Amino acid sequence: MDVAEKSETIYVKEMDDYKKMVEISVENLGVSFTDKEGGAPVVALQNINLEIMQGEFISLLGPSGCGKTTLLRTIADLQQPTSGKISVRGESPREIRSQKKYGIVFQNPVLYEWRTVRRNVCMPMEMMGIPKRDRTARVTKMLELVGLMEFGKKYPHELSGGMQQRVGIARALAIQPEILLMDEPFSALDEFTKEKLHEDLLRIWKKTNKTILFVTHNIQEAVFLSDRVVVLSPHPGRVSAVVDINLERPRDLSIKSSPEFNALVTKVRNSFEGV
Amino acid sequence: MWLETKKKIRITKQSVTTILYPVLFGVLVAVLWQTQVLHKMIGADTFTLPLPGRIFAIISDNAPEIMLNVRATVIVALGGLVLGSLLGYLLAILATMFPKWGVGGLTVVSAFNAIPIIAIAPILNNLTKDFSKDPNTRSMLAKMLVVMIMCTVSMSINAYRGFTELKPFSLDLMTSYAASKTTVFFKLRVPNSIPYMFTALRVSVPGSVISALVSEYFAEYIIGVGRQIRENIVLAQYATAWAYITVACAIGIILYVVLLIVEGILLKGRR
Amino acid sequence: MEKVKKALTSNKMVTFVWVLGLIGVWEIGATVIAQSKRTPENVLPHLYQILDSVFSDKLINSTQTALQVVLSNAGITLIRALIGFLIGIAIGFILAFFMSMFKLVEKTFFPYLMIIQMIPILGMAPIILAVTKNIDSSRIVIAAILTFYPVATNTLAGFKAVEKEKRELMYSISATNFQIYSKLMVPSCMPYFFTGLKIAAPMAITASILVDTLQGGGGLGTMLSQSLKHAMSIYVFWQIVFFSAIIGILSYYLMVVIEKLLSPYKRIKKAKKGVSVVGD
Repeated sequence: MDVAEKSETIYVKEMDDYKKMVEISVENLGVSFTDKEGGAPVVALQNINLEIMQGEFISLLGPSGCGKTTLLRTIADLQQPTSGKISVRGESPREIRSQKKYGIVFQNPVLYEWRTVRRNVCMPMEMMGIPKRDRTARVTKMLELVGLMEFGKKYPHELSGGMQQRVGIARALAIQPEILLMDEPFSALDEFTKEKLHEDLLRIWKKTNKTILFVTHNIQEAVFLSDRVVVLSPHPGRVSAVVDINLERPRDLSIKSSPEFNALVTKVRNSFEGV
Repeated sequence: MWLETKKKIRITKQSVTTILYPVLFGVLVAVLWQTQVLHKMIGADTFTLPLPGRIFAIISDNAPEIMLNVRATVIVALGGLVLGSLLGYLLAILATMFPKWGVGGLTVVSAFNAIPIIAIAPILNNLTKDFSKDPNTRSMLAKMLVVMIMCTVSMSINAYRGFTELKPFSLDLMTSYAASKTTVFFKLRVPNSIPYMFTALRVSVPGSVISALVSEYFAEYIIGVGRQIRENIVLAQYATAWAYITVACAIGIILYVVLLIVEGILLKGRR
Repeated sequence: MEKVKKALTSNKMVTFVWVLGLIGVWEIGATVIAQSKRTPENVLPHLYQILDSVFSDKLINSTQTALQVVLSNAGITLIRALIGFLIGIAIGFILAFFMSMFKLVEKTFFPYLMIIQMIPILGMAPIILAVTKNIDSSRIVIAAILTFYPVATNTLAGFKAVEKEKRELMYSISATNFQIYSKLMVPSCMPYFFTGLKIAAPMAITASILVDTLQGGGGLGTMLSQSLKHAMSIYVFWQIVFFSAIIGILSYYLMVVIEKLLSPYKRIKKAKKGVSVVGD
């Protein structure tokens, strides 16, 4: 209980020296959608303030309709803010996107079914004009990282769902992004595959040192993976709590049965509003 | 509040352009046609490509005669469409009842799809010679059979898919009710086949008009919009031929729009 | 024994039996006609009579056998059909491309693309001949028109079916429009594009033969009408009937084979592939 109490800190704007480590800062962000039928605009996000540190693993957690995906998409420059501002390393999301510093993984692996696994991973590098020899080397490295070395020559339909998602992760990492944006990447997978991928993802994260923004609706998943869990509540989407997860790292599946883990899960669950 | 108004304006602007752009294009072509710029572009003269005004004048002057031919064509097209679709549906039912042999049969039937109408029309003309003493009646039958074959193919293949491509677990659900084959057929397969029927009709309604027009070329008795197009060209009456072409297009468009309306009513809430 | 049983009930066997059945029906019909008509070969000859005429070396005009007449005229017809088909593919694909690139182009032309499949283009063949005044170019024009709209509608449907996430992934690494089309849109729309080709190929051939019948400039259609008018052996007609049916079916399977050669992988979403001419 004590531990949990101490960890509750909602980030407000902080002192200047702290800023050096801030990777993404979201200030007073609001996003609304206008639907096509001509009804009133739907407020997806309202007054979001958030700072994400460099190298941090942060989860956006909430029920459907809370705007967690919208927040990720706005940071990724796939969605434009209605009000407020996002800056990534002092630049706009668009500038960061054009510098190709984002790696994105969606819920659906969206692989190119006419390309082999290797050529799927290779694809973003082709766009960036990376020389062929470097590409080949990097693809090999990435496949090794996600444990798919023997599957390079296969086509996506020959792989299981979990393997396809690994290819998606390898593809996102192949361009050596600074920030990895993951939108419910494991929610379509079965529990066993999911747990395996959780451990793999933590290992990859440690090895590559990326900042990871992870969207999920699964409380256990968020607590197990993250440094901090941002709890969002719907109608309108807003931050209702930010929970520090000060569980020791490296973590493995055994911590899921520890009292600390369960205390944090309960704490996160209790911080939802109006669901 | 201002946001809402702004949005409404944007939306009306959207729907206006959806209508405006194609209409503008149509008007442009009509103007080019009427001012004979179009003729210069494709190297035609007003004799073979008459001005729109003249075409419509001919249609209104010859309305009774044109209607007679329209009737002949529409009867053939719709008669063949109805016969062919019923037969196709029946074949699909048989194929569903006896899957092993039915699927093979449908494969063979689908090959008919690729056979040119021109090859079928003269054969049927010859085969139906004894059907009636009246050349109009026996020609009508021959033409209708051509249309029928075309429509049978598309309906049988699509309806079979409608009977068999059921939603996952829907058959299991029926089994859990211990439903008989007949119940499964009427409560599950038939309703499931309705959207597929319309897929077939979207192909066979325009197809039936085309088949009717082309089979008229080969028919013994000279009647029908398609035949009139050809006869008038042989007589170098191009303006009249164009009048019949306009009418043929109108038949195609009207039948298709009717189909879309029926589909909209019957499939309401399905899509 | 088991193997024999399996072979007898295989799908190929079923199709084979069906074909045999059709032949049987034809032959029964031919036998009935042979007894009741004075010139049964005009109505429904026996299949062996047709086959016999194919291999016969009897000259039916001053220089050619029936088969030579059919084949030499088939060349004229099929080459025109092919040229029209290729032009139609190019126009259809380019139109679909511009429609997916520019909203304005889509809005302007999409309604016409819908209308053109409601109107009987084949019925307009005679007037196109009258306007172009040239049998060759009118064959090409009609085959091209009949090819372009199934290709355009299906390709456009293919462009539209590309998942949003795939485009967003491209966007997230700031891919250029050229890259998006060459690496993503064009490869993804291939199954739809080929659906269009499979619809169009037999239509282009039908169109070309039909245009032949309008004027005596040579070609399968011309021979077909002449044979029907008894200007030459009626077996030329029967040979053309079978030849055009076979060519029509083969043209479809040729598209299937080309598609397989160009895309050796299997598509996951098979259900989405079957777009009708109408599109969505």
